[in-house]
This record gives sequence, structure tokens and C-alpha cells, in this order.
Amino acid sequence: MTVEIALTVIRALFPVLMALSSLAIIPLIRFWRGRQHDDGATYATFGVQLLLLTTSAGAVLAGAGYISTLRIGQVTIDPSEPGRLLVVLGGIVFAVIVGAGEGRRASTMGQIALFGLAAIDLALAIPSGIAPIALLLFASLAISGAAASGKDDIGRARAVFRDLRTVSLLLPAVVIAEILRTAISYAATDATYATPASLAAGTALAVSLVVIVAAGIFPFHNRLIRIFEALPIVGSLLVGVWIPSALALIVMSELSTLASSITDPLGGAIVPGILLAGSATLIFGAVSALLHDDIGEIVGFIAVGNAGWLALASAAALQSPTDTSSRLIVLPGILTISLFGLWLVSVRRRYGTTSISELGGWVWRTSANGIVLAAAIIALAALPPGAVLAARLNLLILDGNPLVAVFAIAGQLLLTAAAVRLLLVGFTPASQAVHEAETRPLINLITIPLIAGALFTAAAAAGWLALESGGTGPLPPAPIVSPATSFAPAPSAEPSVSNSPAVSPEVSPSGSGEISPAP
Amino acid sequence: MPSLELPLVLVAILAGTLAVTSASRGAWVAIALLAATSSALEFSLSDPNHTGLVLRISAIGIGLIAALPDGLLEPEALRRDLALRTIFNTLREHPVVVASAAAGLLLGLVPLALPIESSSGALRAAGVALLVVGLPPLLTSRFIEATTRAAVVTLAGTLLLRTSIFGSLDPFTALAVAAGFACILVVGGSVASRISKAEEQ
Repeated sequence: MTVEIALTVIRALFPVLMALSSLAIIPLIRFWRGRQHDDGATYATFGVQLLLLTTSAGAVLAGAGYISTLRIGQVTIDPSEPGRLLVVLGGIVFAVIVGAGEGRRASTMGQIALFGLAAIDLALAIPSGIAPIALLLFASLAISGAAASGKDDIGRARAVFRDLRTVSLLLPAVVIAEILRTAISYAATDATYATPASLAAGTALAVSLVVIVAAGIFPFHNRLIRIFEALPIVGSLLVGVWIPSALALIVMSELSTLASSITDPLGGAIVPGILLAGSATLIFGAVSALLHDDIGEIVGFIAVGNAGWLALASAAALQSPTDTSSRLIVLPGILTISLFGLWLVSVRRRYGTTSISELGGWVWRTSANGIVLAAAIIALAALPPGAVLAARLNLLILDGNPLVAVFAIAGQLLLTAAAVRLLLVGFTPASQAVHEAETRPLINLITIPLIAGALFTAAAAAGWLALESGGTGPLPPAPIVSPATSFAPAPSAEPSVSNSPAVSPEVSPSGSGEISPAP
Repeated sequence: MPSLELPLVLVAILAGTLAVTSASRGAWVAIALLAATSSALEFSLSDPNHTGLVLRISAIGIGLIAALPDGLLEPEALRRDLALRTIFNTLREHPVVVASAAAGLLLGLVPLALPIESSSGALRAAGVALLVVGLPPLLTSRFIEATTRAAVVTLAGTLLLRTSIFGSLDPFTALAVAAGFACILVVGGSVASRISKAEEQ
């Protein structure tokens, strides 16, 4: 193996290599410090934070114009812009969250984050067939299983059980989508088949189902709430927000290609259905966040509200395949919910309670957490107005339904109100739990990264930093319809299948951004 | 090799049916059998490159070792649970599942429209039958072990259906799916043991 090939492997697989190396490094640190100084857990946490930050830095390098394409046999691993962007920001976000979470299992959570980011990066780097979706779905299941382990909590186990069922149901949906998509070309050449528009509608429905279920869009919102209730915050964020968002990027690209490949309007009321689900999710999430008392549940409902935007974005990808606004709102949403997660873990750690009624006056006692929540609120509202707010408004215009736009705007305002309510509770007179809690000075090793990380994340989420994520590009066409390779050969398929029988305008990925796509 | 296809299809369907109907011991053995037969159908045995087949079987093997409940492999109990009479009785006690499997097999043999008409009939029949058998318990079962097995049956059916149309999976997808099978079995096993432990307490 030449040095060039070795470097290419390292660049293409960097997050995966870092995640794998953590399996050796973290136990070694624990062993080294645990035997002599009894502070193995603390040093392991530092170690995993360092690995997360290194992953982030490595992703910047590998995504910034280096040739990272790796070919292993027929498999091409080509780090994509959104994949590397998610790793860059994810490394920083999770390093801060792991630091704020502290505790005995912090390093394990950091390792889970490393593997989650590696799975996202790899999936977005190999956009071929069902592999990326399968990889993300199974990674989601593995992460929820790992995050729930170590504690005999029946609630956690049931959350994982629900995830197992969800994942097992979604893969057949993807395969059905693949089969229907292949049939579109037949419909274009043979009148006895169903119409291309109806087949495209079936494909869109099956593919959208992946995002709708995985992201917790109404009526599947319950899954997301249970995840946020039961799993540790790193697991909740990865399984409930980061992986579904990566899936959404793939699905939106697929929907854009699908919509641009047919000339007739899409049948089956798919677009109105997704729009309805999206606006209902936004309103439901916002109202529920306002009505609940548990901060874990409130953050879960804010995540549900964010999932509503993913549904609206999917509908927009079907309505206007060439517009990339739909994919621009994914990353800010991820970062905003992650900020709320950071605040949640920090407050829960400090005060040991999650009830709003017991958190009166928390801002006075822990002003750093106040800064984190304020940053999260700014990110949620995408203020001051910039690229993110413009992309959201553009989405509503593309969706073309005034009622949906009104519901979405109302939902977003209510979500912001729910978040402001959390902040206002912090200014009320201090409760017993808050009064008795042990706090640390503002300037220390955990608080400074907490504030700096929160401000950086908020800046990225609100669109102050020029960060863009433009989707993975369409999934390549399904393999040509050929007889099964095993056993008796079936009759050969007549038409040579190309999956874009009609018009196939380029779905223009965003190109500009701090991190340019790998050539 | 073609002569082996039909027996393998029938064994896979029978194993899938037993996996969702039998009591614990028989069901796990049925899952192992289903894994072996469906993998052999999916990745051609005559293909010189056995990477996909080896990956799949080893992944499911690892998953099964991790997921198997304690005391499952006692020889005497195994012999009793795997007796032909027991298997026959199990199938007789679940006529709906058996009828679903038969209906799935027949439905899969009919060359429907779409690209399905150009696909391999036997694989398609096995895929549809396993999907029809696996999906109902996957959607409705409240028992974790049963749901885990139903998930494996459904996935095996899905992949056979896909293979019948598109051919074998590419190496990377084969790796991802093999890891997925192992993941389902390991996570399902660990959740089942955790919940039963919590319920005992």
C-alpha cells in the first residue's frame, strides 16, 4: 500500500477510524488512571472529548478539497459535504455535551457519539442503493441499545424495543420504494403498467415514511418523546435528531430526483398528506411543549416541532425539485435541538430534577446554563433574520399552501414561547432544589467550553456562520432489472432500465460553504 | 444447483413459520435454519465469491449466540421440542399462520406486473411468504423475543424479494445488512433479558 493510498484511506474513513480507535484508547486510559489515581472516569471523559474534537478537525481537513475518494472493489467511499459538515459540528457539540454530562458513563456516551457520527459520515459518503439508509437505521438501533445499556431501567428497555420494531419495519418500506421506482421506467414504455405519476407517488410515500417515522413526525411523534424520556441525552440526540436528519437529507435528494423524473403531477395526495403531517407536528409539538412540566419532555416536544419542519421540507423537495432550501434547514434544526439537549443535561446534572416547578431561579444560580438556553432560543428563532429564516420562509412559499404556512408560523412562534418559558422560570424566586444545589464558579474547565460551544453552535444554527449543507445528491439508480444471480435464470427484462425516463434536471447541490465538497 | 432451489425455498418458509409460532427453543432453531437457507438462496452457492454468504451467516451466528436465552441448548429438551410430532402440533395449532404462509407462497408465484414479472419466481415466492408470515407478529406482538424473531423473518423475506428482482446485494450493502441482522438479534436479546430481570425484581 503506497503512502497516497494510506492517506486516502485515512481521509475517507477518518471518523470511522477515530471511532474504532476509541475502543482501544478509552479502556487504556481507564486502566492507566484507574489503577494508580482512581480518576479513570474523568480522564476517559477528557480522552473521548479529545477524540471527538480530533474527529471534527479531521473532517474539516478531509472535506476541504482533498481528494478523499476511496475505492474498495465496487464500493466508492466519497465523503460528502453534508456528511463532513455534520461530523465537524457534531464533534464539537458532543464534546461539549459529554463534558457537561460528566459522570461515570460520560466516556461511554462520548464513544457512542463517535460511532454515531462515523455512521452518519459513512452513510452520506456511500450513496448507493439501500446501503446508506440501512446503515443509518441499524446504527440508530445499535446506538439506542448501547445508550440504554448499563442500567436496568424498564423504560429504557421498552424505548429500545420500540426502536427495534420501527427499524425492522422501515427497511421493507425502502425496498418497496426501490421496486416501485424501478417500475416507473416500465410505466413510461408500456401502457399496461400503472402510470408513472402513481408509481412515483407510491415510491414517494414509501421513502417519505422513512423520514416520517424515524424523525417522529405526527402521528409517529410518540417515538421521539419516549426516546427523549428514556435514553441519555447523547443517545436521544443521535437516535432522535442527528440520524433522522441524515436520513432526511438522503430522502429529500431522492424525492427531488423522483419529482423531476415525471412530467405529470404526483398522484395520491402525497404532498398534501406530508404538508398536513408537518404542520400538525409543528403545532402539536409547540402546544405540548407549552403544556408540559418536565424539561426532558419539553425538549422532546421541541424536537417534535423541529421534525415538523423536516416534513415541510420533504414536501417542498417534491414540489420544487431544483430548489435547495429544503435541505438548508436540516442542519440548523439539528444544532438547535442539540443546544436544548446541552442545556437539559447541564441543568439536570446540576439540580438533579427535571420538573419546572422545582427549578425556579436556576438562572441566578447557574448563569452559564442561562447563556446556553438563551443561545438555544436565538437559534430556534433564527435571529437576527438571515439565511436560515429566509430558507424557512422560502419553504413555506414552495409548499404553496397559505393555511400550512399560517400553522407553521404559529407553531414556530409557540415553540419559541415554550423555550422562553423555560428561561423565565429561571428568573423566578429560587426553589428549594435550586437553593441547595452545589454550583461551581463561572470560570472553570467545564463552564468555559460550555459557553463557548453553545455560542458557536447557536451562531451556526442561526445562520451567522456561513455553513451550508446541500444534501447527498440523489441515490444512484437501482441496479438494472436482472434475473437473480442464483439458481435458474429468469427471463430477461426487456427494456434497458434507466431510472430517469423523462426529464432529469440536475438537483443542484449547494456548493458553497465553508467546507467544499470533495472532488 | 437449480434442483436445490425449491427444497431450500420450502425449508425457508417452514422455518419462518416455525420461528413465529413455536415456543422458545424450536423458534430459535428455526431462526438459525431460516438464516442458513435464506442466505443460501440470496447469495448463490455456485458463485465463486462467497463473501456475502459468509458475512451473513457469521453475523447471524454471532447474533444468535448473543441472543439465545440460557439453557436453550439442553440436548434432551431440544430433542423433545424438535420432534416431528411437536412441529406438526405447533403448525396445527396455528392454522392462520400456516394458511398465510401458503397464501404468500402462491401469491409470490403469480407473475404480477411491474419489474416483478421478470424476477426469479421461487425467490419471489419465498420472499412474499416470509413477509406475510413475519409482518403481523412484528406489528402486533408484545413479547420481545417473538418480535425479534419476527423482525428477522421479515428482513429475510424482504431481502429475498429484493434479490429476486435486483440480484444479490453489493458487498457494502451485504456488510451493512449482515451487521443489521446481528444488531437486531443482539439488541433484542439484551432488551428481553433486561425487561425480564426488571419484572422479576
